[in-house]
Amino acid sequence: MHEIIEQLDQKRELARLGGGQKRIDAQHKKGKLTARERIELLLDEGTFEEWDMFKEHRCTDFGMGDTKIPSDGVVTGYGTVNGRMVFVFSQDFTVFGGALSEAHAEKICKIMDKAMQVGAPVIGLNDSGGARIQEGVAALGGYAEVFQRNVMASGVIPQISMIMGPCAGGAVYSPAMTDFIFMVKDTSYMFVTGPEVVKTVTHEEVTAEELGGAVTHTSKSGVADLAFENDVDALLMLRRFINYLPLNNKEKAPIRPTPDPADRLDLSLDTLVPDNPNKPYDIKELIVKTVDDCDFFEIQPDHAKNIVIGFARMEGQTVGIVANQPMVMAGCLDIKSSIKAGRFVRFCDAFNIPIVTFVDVPGFMPGTAQEYGGIIKHGAKLLYAYAECTVPKITVITRKAYGGAYDVMASKHLRGDVNFAWPTAEIAVMGPKGAVEIIFREEKNDPVKVAEREAEYKAKFANPFVAGARGFIDDVIQPHETRKRICRSLVMLRNKKIENPWRKHGNIPL
Amino acid sequence: MFKKILIANRGEIACRVMKTAKKMGIKTVAVYSEADKDAMHVAMADEAVCIGPAPSKESYLCADKIIAACKQTGAQAVHPGYGFLSENEAFSRTLEEQGIVFIGPKHYSVAAMGDKIASKKLALEAKVNIIPGYNDAIDTPEQAVEIAKGIGYPVMIKASAGGGGKGLRVAFNDQEAHEGFASCKTEALNAFGDDRVFIEKYVEEPRHIEIQLIGDSHGNVLYLHERECSIQRRHQKVIEEAPSPFLDPATRKAMGEQAVALAKAVKYQSAGTVEFVVGGKDKQFYFLEMNTRLQVEHPVTECITGLDLVELMIRVAAGEKLPLKQNEVKLNGWAMECRINAEDPFRNFLPSTGRLVKFQPPAEVDEGPNHKVRVDTGVYEGGEISMFYDSMIAKLIVHGATRDQAIARMRDALNGFVIRGVSANISFQAALMQNPRFISGNFNTGLIAEEYPKGFNAADVPHDDPAMLITVAAAMHRQYLARNATISGQMPGHEFRPGADFVVRLDDGGDHEVAVTPAAGGWDVSFAGETYAIRSDWQFGQAIYDGTINGQPFCMQVERRGLKYRLFHWGTQMDLMVLTARAAHLQALMPKKAPPDTSKFLLSPMPGLLTQIAVTPGQEVKAGEVLAKIEAMKMENVLKAERDCTVEKLLATPGESLAVDQAIIAFK
Repeated sequence: MHEIIEQLDQKRELARLGGGQKRIDAQHKKGKLTARERIELLLDEGTFEEWDMFKEHRCTDFGMGDTKIPSDGVVTGYGTVNGRMVFVFSQDFTVFGGALSEAHAEKICKIMDKAMQVGAPVIGLNDSGGARIQEGVAALGGYAEVFQRNVMASGVIPQISMIMGPCAGGAVYSPAMTDFIFMVKDTSYMFVTGPEVVKTVTHEEVTAEELGGAVTHTSKSGVADLAFENDVDALLMLRRFINYLPLNNKEKAPIRPTPDPADRLDLSLDTLVPDNPNKPYDIKELIVKTVDDCDFFEIQPDHAKNIVIGFARMEGQTVGIVANQPMVMAGCLDIKSSIKAGRFVRFCDAFNIPIVTFVDVPGFMPGTAQEYGGIIKHGAKLLYAYAECTVPKITVITRKAYGGAYDVMASKHLRGDVNFAWPTAEIAVMGPKGAVEIIFREEKNDPVKVAEREAEYKAKFANPFVAGARGFIDDVIQPHETRKRICRSLVMLRNKKIENPWRKHGNIPL
Repeated sequence: MFKKILIANRGEIACRVMKTAKKMGIKTVAVYSEADKDAMHVAMADEAVCIGPAPSKESYLCADKIIAACKQTGAQAVHPGYGFLSENEAFSRTLEEQGIVFIGPKHYSVAAMGDKIASKKLALEAKVNIIPGYNDAIDTPEQAVEIAKGIGYPVMIKASAGGGGKGLRVAFNDQEAHEGFASCKTEALNAFGDDRVFIEKYVEEPRHIEIQLIGDSHGNVLYLHERECSIQRRHQKVIEEAPSPFLDPATRKAMGEQAVALAKAVKYQSAGTVEFVVGGKDKQFYFLEMNTRLQVEHPVTECITGLDLVELMIRVAAGEKLPLKQNEVKLNGWAMECRINAEDPFRNFLPSTGRLVKFQPPAEVDEGPNHKVRVDTGVYEGGEISMFYDSMIAKLIVHGATRDQAIARMRDALNGFVIRGVSANISFQAALMQNPRFISGNFNTGLIAEEYPKGFNAADVPHDDPAMLITVAAAMHRQYLARNATISGQMPGHEFRPGADFVVRLDDGGDHEVAVTPAAGGWDVSFAGETYAIRSDWQFGQAIYDGTINGQPFCMQVERRGLKYRLFHWGTQMDLMVLTARAAHLQALMPKKAPPDTSKFLLSPMPGLLTQIAVTPGQEVKAGEVLAKIEAMKMENVLKAERDCTVEKLLATPGESLAVDQAIIAFK
């Protein structure tokens, strides 16, 4: 009996070594941790329950029959992050370069199925050279099995991908369908076709880092949501991120008690909006000074910076923040920012996370680049997302809310639950200058008259009270009491219940 | 007494004057430029009058606008503060003609002391020690050399109309005297439109010590002891204290009496200051100049004498007699003032402008005559530091029984001074407060230049007691973990339980093992065989972490940046990570990344307005050529090429407001 137990220990020891000490050392040399080390950092100490440690591939071609390594290149199981259950798979680059085999895919599918049944997030730590070529179509089938499950899980349990090594070709489409993609700088990349193929086909010379590194995807393409300095940074910050999410779509947003008083006032907000309507200010100061503990977890900070998104808490409960950023392109909406915010709003809605929207938007970005790029359809994504949303929606207009962009940004008309405006708000079809040019076209060459008309327009429309008179604004609030008013509104809305009509699914303008 | 006075100034000094006026039951009128319409001094005043656009010469320097404001509001008197019109003879004369009282000296006293050469002559007549020198205008370099020889080297060549060290030259031999004279003359003409220069003995190891005076209209003049202002950076005072650690009672008396004699010679009636240079070697003192106004550093004198100088100024201006005699002037304890400037000490003290995202000065303390913390400021959280005016945003003043106590109190107060959004010189002041030469009291005006010859760097402020930082970071981290344990939705029976053992990793790579256990009101941290009982009511997100360590009060500033805790204390800024032993082991495997190469870019060294780009893409530029100009704090900063290079791309456009380190130009 004793011998059998010892045998188990030995088998485990062997499995833990993955591709062997040499490959582990090579992995470390690249600045990367091993699959199991990563799980150790991600999960609460000693809580990892590993499954399928002894699973092996079934391929016999190309001499693969002789090289079998237990776990087959991916470590799977579940554990807790701050006591909350998550499922995790972590690809092991030391075993066949983390290449995905049929068995490897089955392991991933097994935990995804279980995560769906019990309602817990799935976290993928990706570090894989791609499909296991020796297995041919079996490996491709494996990918598709995972894809199908990604889609079924979408909106049911949170899915997070942490790219910690290569992720190329078809492999990118599993992370692409998860809710968030995080990447590690310098050691991870994602692309559909690599630099060599790119060179052959388009004659472009580009490095892997430039083509699909963490910086590229978090600033240029917007494919990834955050880039981290290294594995440790990435995994420990991921723990912090998971704290914001409910475990599944039936749970309310989690609550973590805070000592920060709900009625905390911040007088410095009274001077946040400059007198000059063309002068920018940093909307993040408002966010940070409004939320619990001044703690704001920003998503996509380097992409489409004209809109700010991220998670925070109000009275302990997670909220999603969406805010126009006047510091960048005057905070206007364009293709990228609409897509960025639209997707975020839908995530929040799927997972019962209330949305707080701060509005200072001069309108949609004009120009051929935008029109040819399809701003009509892309802008509609954000509009659709807000309109479809049934979670509590609080909106605060700090300054400009012009034209169609006013409607889009969680307006009353899109079932905004509580719509506030600061006294500095200007809710109008457009700014005074543009409006006067159109309404009083015949006077446009008379600067004195134009100035008069502008002043007249400003007095009449460039304030929150016209909208207030129609009930489009529930109240005009003092900037310094913003936190207090939002907190109260959120508590009032805790049991909000509305349902959209039954349908198979809506048809968001993709 | 006046019923209403106008304060012809802005910022902290306007607020300071109003405080006293309010105390005396006098109504106040503020004047402000368009840039200052939301400033603190406007809010504090009973009435406020806008006197024009932001630039000083179109607002605060316009005597006629201020006089009009007096008439409009019925102000009976004007307090000029310092700077602006405070030493403008024409202004005070016009006020007098208009029947408005100038709260300051009479115009003839201002006139007499305004000219450096004339004032020296007066001083000589009043038997005040004068630096050996030649006080008449000098015409030729040859004449200058002869005079220099007569005085004996080293000598100093200085512009008559100058101030703040502009156009100043030191010559150690004939050739230097010859050249220095010529260049000083040109510079004086350009800077002041007056090319008169004078030559005098150069005092070695000079200390700048000044005597505060107060006179009334009944011929009484008192000296209120001295202020030591030797801690200067490029001739700008940084720290002032009273008394001076250098003077003995006899010298103090001698200097005071000479200062009074000089004041009496010009029928001085208000607050004024006689500046002396005192030889650090021989204690000989020489008259430099007289400032016919209230000085920035007057609060240290107020601390040690218990007087309110602004109140005295108002009273004597209203014709009252001074309420005390010379032998009733007190000298209690030790007072010190740090000037808090909006400038970045780590970037060669470049001015910093923008929004004060956080501005939380330490709490003011007034517990008896030798126990004070005082903050004089004119800004507030959420206010704007504009580029148009002086970068001094606050004065931090402490009063203790002894010099050591004052220093200790200042160090604590600096720890609690939170400024975010614009850079401030807090860490530099903190570094000076622990500089051994400063602490010894044995220094001269060269201290800063000698101690920080290559500018000021973070490495110049090592921490005396890193254990404090290590244990506080550990306690903070443990507090975050404890809160994580309270999150909803945990697996029943398998809830998160934070451990006790951690490794604190410093930015330089040093690892320190600690164990943290909860205790009533805080945490007990064991580190290196000792236990640190940290007690604090700090809460998440607060910038100030204060409380006690083993019963000793402390205060530091904290920020959580990603995984790191950034702690500020005693001028040191340190980033620490608190990890489990396992995480620390794995973290050690992570590659050390070199900071990104910025050598191919011209980066903005400060926030400001890009006024000009002087190059175009493809242009070849030689080292030293002008690349761009940035305006910040009313100063134009010219950015020059550090080496030969070719312009690749312009990354910013003129008129754009730049952030620190924003790329302006890319090079090939």
